[in-house]
Amino acid sequence: MRRLVVVLAALAPLVAVADETVELDPVEIRLVLRHGPWPQPVLRDPSNRVSGDASAIALGQRLFFDTRLSANGTVACASCHVPTRAWTDGRAQAAGLGPLERNTPTVLDAALSRWFGWDGAADSLWSFAVKPMLHPAEMGGSARGTAAVVRGDPSYACLYEAAFRGPPGADPERVLVDTAKALAAYVETIRSGRTPFDEFRDALARGDRAAMARYPLAAQRGLKIFAGKGACSVCHFGPGFTNGEFHDVGIPFTLGPGRVDAGRHEGIKRLRSDPLNLLGRFSDDASGAAATKTRHVEPTHASFGQFKTPSLRNVALTAPYMHNGRLATLRDVVQHYSELDLDRVHADGESLLRPLKLSPREADDLVAFLKSLTDPRASDPPDPPATVAGCGP
Amino acid sequence: MSVRAVAGLATALAVASAAAEPCAAPAGFTSAGRVESRDTVLLYRTVPPRIEVGKHFAVDAVVCSKAAPSALRVDAQMPAHRHGMNYRARVAPQGDGRYRAEGLLFHMPGQWQFVFDVERPGRTERLTADVVVE
Repeated sequence: MRRLVVVLAALAPLVAVADETVELDPVEIRLVLRHGPWPQPVLRDPSNRVSGDASAIALGQRLFFDTRLSANGTVACASCHVPTRAWTDGRAQAAGLGPLERNTPTVLDAALSRWFGWDGAADSLWSFAVKPMLHPAEMGGSARGTAAVVRGDPSYACLYEAAFRGPPGADPERVLVDTAKALAAYVETIRSGRTPFDEFRDALARGDRAAMARYPLAAQRGLKIFAGKGACSVCHFGPGFTNGEFHDVGIPFTLGPGRVDAGRHEGIKRLRSDPLNLLGRFSDDASGAAATKTRHVEPTHASFGQFKTPSLRNVALTAPYMHNGRLATLRDVVQHYSELDLDRVHADGESLLRPLKLSPREADDLVAFLKSLTDPRASDPPDPPATVAGCGP
Repeated sequence: MSVRAVAGLATALAVASAAAEPCAAPAGFTSAGRVESRDTVLLYRTVPPRIEVGKHFAVDAVVCSKAAPSALRVDAQMPAHRHGMNYRARVAPQGDGRYRAEGLLFHMPGQWQFVFDVERPGRTERLTADVVVE
């Protein structure tokens, strides 16, 4: 730590004297450096015995695009998580077999999450994958139907056997969970790459002024607001630009007369009653360490109306925004925080939140910074699934 | 604050310090902090020693006092943000005044405050310790 402080102290004057760069104070520099390095390694999920397994990834990729998992054969995971839309759908609120009430989050870098879904009702990627498969307004599938697809497709059955060291068994629920684990193994590989911000951040870390100056000045000014007076870095923290937790940021959570989306409060209830949570029999983590979060998570008064802090990586590609898609553009999001209505924030809420009162140029700069978090390949179509010997094309 | 008030506070602290229990860390226990009151001294360390934002950690504590506590509760809050953790620590006694609290997680950088509630029959004594997490 002492060495880091010395390095930062040495960097500060360099940043200050560079004509082409915006001055960052030592605290801002520390926060900016915490947003990297990128990419981060994805560790194998101990609760999923096929995490990282090539056969499971190949099976998961095929399943991700397979509409046969839905009740009427028309909806796949990829119907909402569209690769060429940065794995979202461009809608304010998702629509599967029926209308839904929340925005579709991207699955890019989902493997780095602690909780899954806007309310964090899932504690693993694989248990999260089960939810849309069974939800009547999403894919409307069933354990029995999923097991029939996996057993009935020779290629799937072969990949399943290679991944799980045995053929799909007679218990449909077990096959459903294994299918979700294969899907999770695939989603773990959906990662975003480096961005202009990452180049700037790394240049800052090594004191390379020439490379720093290649980062647009508007983005630099926006970054200074983000890490400085905006205090955005406090929640949008670290390499993933999210602290992985839940906050009420003043977005209304009423759904209609007498109906509210309670967000995290309800999410914790659903998590605790979910037989697929990490405390249950389907987790493959014999040590129990992966379930620490589930064992200790605690709802509070403030949990009501809280929603997950999303990553800001590739945020320019994932409009509309917020848990209900209420804000259409990045400019609208910045404006929301600039004019924040504190009366809409929960009484027990985050006292860090204050209207930022940004000038039009500051708002433009913040948007320029957010756009610099874009991986130019984030909306590229994925490579075809890998072939596994003996399991067909 | 007036000079008189400062002097009075200093005297109070000296009395409290003088009356506090002696407390030696057990062998192998490298204390990261010490908080005390008139009746109690509490030594603590975190496991791992460095707290990372978004990573679970544990707190080991040693409580020294004349009247043995019936229990210890460990929590943490972010006073400036007016909120605590999203996780509840579970504390298990380890014997000889030692406790381990598991399941803490700081989800934001900034100034946090450990809250140690030393429980005895009929009263709870609260000790706090500030910690900055970057």
